[in-house]
Amino acid sequence: MAEGQFLKAESPQEACALLARHGGKARLLAGGTDLMVALNLRQSSPEVLVYIGDSGLNYIKEEGDNLIIGAGTALSEILDSALVKEKAPLLVETISHMASVAIRNVGTIGGNLANASPAADSATALLALGASLKIVSKGGERTVPVGQFFTGPGKSVLGADEIIQEIWIPAQAEGTKWGYRKIGKRKAQSLSIVSVAICCPLNGGTCKGVRIALGAVAPTPILAVGASALLEGKTLNESLINETAKAAANATSPVDDVRSSAWYRRRASEALVRQLLANMSA
Amino acid sequence: MYPLELTVNGRSCQVAVDFKTTLLEVLRDKLFITSPKVGCNTGDCGTCSVLLNGKLVRSCITNALSAQGKEIITVEGIAKAGELHPLQEAFHENYGAQCGFCTPGMILASKALLDENPKPTREEAKEALSGNLCRCTGYVKILDSVMAAAEKMGGPQGS
Repeated sequence: MAEGQFLKAESPQEACALLARHGGKARLLAGGTDLMVALNLRQSSPEVLVYIGDSGLNYIKEEGDNLIIGAGTALSEILDSALVKEKAPLLVETISHMASVAIRNVGTIGGNLANASPAADSATALLALGASLKIVSKGGERTVPVGQFFTGPGKSVLGADEIIQEIWIPAQAEGTKWGYRKIGKRKAQSLSIVSVAICCPLNGGTCKGVRIALGAVAPTPILAVGASALLEGKTLNESLINETAKAAANATSPVDDVRSSAWYRRRASEALVRQLLANMSA
Repeated sequence: MYPLELTVNGRSCQVAVDFKTTLLEVLRDKLFITSPKVGCNTGDCGTCSVLLNGKLVRSCITNALSAQGKEIITVEGIAKAGELHPLQEAFHENYGAQCGFCTPGMILASKALLDENPKPTREEAKEALSGNLCRCTGYVKILDSVMAAAEKMGGPQGS
């Protein structure tokens, strides 16, 4: 067997050039918290690792109305960022429930998305925040809303020669309430059984452009668009909240697996949406 | 094979590694530093934890070449001139180790915590160690040890 190659990219452009050259034989390596596990378990056998851990993708900045996070930023850096705490506290809250210290120290937000797990917690938050991804390749760049990024478990629209360069989070409307809840088997280091993130812009008590996102209850993290629409222009009250929670649960298509049953996931989705919206109306 | 240079516990080391060799394999099989253990080998249990440039990482899922030129600390490197580190003393005095398999990882996760937050509450210590499993389930004594070490090193806040 030919010896595998470890190629270090000094920049996103170089990473794209290396991917263009090696195509499907290469995998991107950043923090390695998913890929190295797959290699140890022999679930993946790339011939080339393109290392992007020191390629300048690690930054958090504000540009106009957008909060921009470099895809190579470690989860722990986002957790500690005063700017993210101010502009997108939902993302900070979500990350505080992800994995554990050692994993957050190296695991990157871009990696969490590119791995495309249906249970990727950062995706649930980014869906609720209405975030987009700047994706680059040797040939150019494109912007993809997070809601259009995932296509199935472990699958996304990301081409073999493309990398996620940045996550763009738009400014949230004044008076936006937000909430996040995750249910796992235990508090730390657990994959979600269900996670729910909601951003609810309240204009004088009236809902406008609410986004309800659910993770680990469908082949991809999902936005419950129909459920969110029920709230448009309305004031939160108990019966509306119950109706919305039911609609959100109906938007799920959960599976039975080692972590939980589909039945429980559907029930818990409804309960979490109801609880989060009730907190917002209080 | 690729050349890899690391500083491990203050000592400069050169080894040759494969493109997917893990840092844990380098430490145990090439440098014979055996405090980091092979537990789950998937990053879940924490017994392979080491400090990489001062940050807690899982050596079992750290690609060795991604640590090129960096500084690694294992439990072997925290005792100075034959004197145990206060954390080691505290684990010893408070029965923080049972079978001992998780202990090196627990001590390094505790060190990472105390380096950043010298006066943790017990709750903060719990959170900091939440990624490290003790299958003897001796968590109470482990937390006692961390709080005792914090006190030795400067004084804890609340309990």
